[in-house]
Amino acid sequence: MSGGMLYGGDEIGALVFDPGHHSLRVGYAQEDTPKAEIPAVVGVASDDVKTEPEIKPEENNVSSTPSSNKYYIDTTFLHLPKPNMELHSYMKDGMIENWDLFEQILDYSYEKIIQSESHFHPVLFSESPWNQRQKREKLTELMFEKYKVPAFFLVKNAALAAFANGRATALVIDSGATHTSAVPVLDGYVITNAVVKSPLGGDLLVLRAREMLESIGVDLTPAALIASKEVIREKEKPKFTKKKFNFQPTNSWMTYMVKRTVQDFQQTVLQVSENPYDEKVAMNIPAVQYEFPTGYHQDFGPERFKLAEGLFDHPMLGAGYIASTSAGMCDVDIRPALYSSVVLTGGNSLVQGFSDRLSRDLSSRTPGSMRLKMIAANGTVERRFGAWVGGSILASIGTFQQMWVSAQEYQECGKAQIDRKCP
Amino acid sequence: MADVRDIMELERPPTPEITRETILGDKTKKRTSVGPKVPKRPEGMHREVFALLYNDNKDAPPLFPSDTIGNNGYKQTKIKLGMRKPRKWVWMPFTNPARTDNATFHHWRRPSDEPKEYPFAKFNKKVEIRTYTDHEYQQHLKCEGWTKEETDHMMDLAHRFDLRFLMMADRYDTERFSKRSVEDIKERYYKICGVLAKLNGEKKIYTYDGDHERRRKEQLKKLYDRKPEQIEEEQFLLGELKKIEARKKERERKTQDLQKLISQADSQNETPRKTDKKLPKKKISNPSRPSRVDTNHIFQVIESAGIKFPDFKNSGVSLRSQRMKLPANVGQKKSKGVEQILQEMGLELNPTPSEEICQHFNELRSDMVLLIEIKAALSTCEYELQSLRHQYEALNPGKSLSIPPQLLSSADGEGKISTGEIIDVVGSPGTPSNT
Repeated sequence: MSGGMLYGGDEIGALVFDPGHHSLRVGYAQEDTPKAEIPAVVGVASDDVKTEPEIKPEENNVSSTPSSNKYYIDTTFLHLPKPNMELHSYMKDGMIENWDLFEQILDYSYEKIIQSESHFHPVLFSESPWNQRQKREKLTELMFEKYKVPAFFLVKNAALAAFANGRATALVIDSGATHTSAVPVLDGYVITNAVVKSPLGGDLLVLRAREMLESIGVDLTPAALIASKEVIREKEKPKFTKKKFNFQPTNSWMTYMVKRTVQDFQQTVLQVSENPYDEKVAMNIPAVQYEFPTGYHQDFGPERFKLAEGLFDHPMLGAGYIASTSAGMCDVDIRPALYSSVVLTGGNSLVQGFSDRLSRDLSSRTPGSMRLKMIAANGTVERRFGAWVGGSILASIGTFQQMWVSAQEYQECGKAQIDRKCP
Repeated sequence: MADVRDIMELERPPTPEITRETILGDKTKKRTSVGPKVPKRPEGMHREVFALLYNDNKDAPPLFPSDTIGNNGYKQTKIKLGMRKPRKWVWMPFTNPARTDNATFHHWRRPSDEPKEYPFAKFNKKVEIRTYTDHEYQQHLKCEGWTKEETDHMMDLAHRFDLRFLMMADRYDTERFSKRSVEDIKERYYKICGVLAKLNGEKKIYTYDGDHERRRKEQLKKLYDRKPEQIEEEQFLLGELKKIEARKKERERKTQDLQKLISQADSQNETPRKTDKKLPKKKISNPSRPSRVDTNHIFQVIESAGIKFPDFKNSGVSLRSQRMKLPANVGQKKSKGVEQILQEMGLELNPTPSEEICQHFNELRSDMVLLIEIKAALSTCEYELQSLRHQYEALNPGKSLSIPPQLLSSADGEGKISTGEIIDVVGSPGTPSNT
């Protein structure tokens, strides 16, 4: 407390949850990185033969889960194939869809990550700008009723990302796994009518990259299935031995693991060219070598650029286009303010050259009299966990402590007030 | 003390006189009260420098911290940090007066710190939003196109978003009410404010011109929506406009110069000979002149050109030759021209300055300057005439403009006579008759 006045901070032991399609970020407010990033998929096995050190489903009144199900959460458990383990994502369209699985994730976070009782910690959740009222209320109910949190708050992730970059007014370009969105934020409020989103995200790149790799015949066996491999020459047929399992990994698990494999390829190799894709230019840029889990390796040249171009070349959904459309939907008076702080966030924005290309695309669409300024945090962590970091800052600010929806208020007015209290 | 005395230039207290009492009385006491021997400041030494040598305590000035000397010399190595015991931090509950529900949260605090009001509560500022009663609404606030429910909703939004009208427009309940623009909401809000203020007898006047705002935004939108080509074209047009204006200015400047010259000549012409009746006669008798205005201009040319010699009315003795000195405002070019003409006429550059010669010589030179200027003006006119003729011919090919001969200086006859007359006319009263 003392000394806190100087920085305006007052830490009250709050937790920050930032759910996304790729992962859920969990951690304590006032820390600079989340304690854990948990993949946004849950493995569900319907039999309980084996004993594994994972979470046992909790029995409670709020949500009824079949007791026979076993849930596998977090990378360590997910990456090991298990019989009949189907992987499910609980997110859909930026919103929480499967509440049973999400509860499992929350249980896991409290038990393994936070390692503390939920009723000690106020909770700040992020949400997508287009989250539905009914889902917000459901989450509020869940947190208060099941987890007995002392206080709860919901903030739109775009606003949090703007806060993380030190802005209250910004045009937030959030490029995530499933979609890229342009969200204008004014004084910490999201202008919901001017949100523009496109389904061009990291998953699309993965899909394209996978198609491309399969078309050239690359074996995408994930690392989890490989026992050993040999060093081979470039483009030679890989020599590796598979791990022996006495069961067949499920399709959903295979899909997920292949996706992770391709994702790694995408993150290391892909690059967005500075100008619209040109085969001749791309040919001249040195190729990048990549080795797959099987040991197969080869150089990737123009493909790197061709694949990443998908994020920008669409005439209606390209990142530059949605940004300018979003700004164009706002009141003319605030457009200069928006253009002068364009905040770039989201894990997919880390594709090489993304910010350069975006600023180039955007500057060609910016009215001449306006100043364009892109704010893109340099660090990987700051970019990937932009919304979480913003939440961490917000929840530990002294003046914010009056904003929480407390348990008392929830008892008095019910879940419906969340819409009023968390704009 | 010594400093003050020095500044005030007071005398030093005289050393106590040695009397019986001083010797017999408690000597030591007296000594201490006076202090140790007061060293005298050497003559010529600055007070500040002296003060450095001998401070008030009369100790040697410390060159380094002398703290250690009193203790264990340099042996003491243990650093003394805070003397107090460390104070505990405790995870303790607090309530925030900015909250309405008295919820308690916990934070780390020193229990030793006085429990005071939550320090961040004072930042809880709210915009004051006016409220109205049902009665007030029915009486004064009814408005075409706004129901009470919608007005209530609008005021509620104003309260929630602290009058951020953009957010109010964004979160407007479009399911229950039709969509409203920011201007609509602002218009309604300020109208309500105005009416309520009036009812309360406040002097504050709320004015909001929604239409003006709408137009302004429309303009702004147009400005932002310009295409690059449009912007380029606009820049180009602006550049052209600038060029045109520069040319116009140049032309105006030239005309003004001419005008000035003309009016100068005219006034000089009128002042010396007010009773001259030749001018009007001449004008009437000479119908072949192209226009009266022009003739006037030509007469005006003569006005104040020439040299204005200052009057020597100042007291004191001066040489008469001073009167023949060309005033400073006569340019280098003109004085050179005058010199040249004088040489051509075989006159002295500096004649003996008798009274008469002085006057005539000055007048002569004044006329010469005038002549130079008239010649210059004439050639300008002629040049313009020629260029106009060329323009005319260029625009109307095949036609040629015949210039009346009297307008050309080379023409003989009437034109020449008139110029001669003009020059004659210009002559000052004292001009020798043989000119």
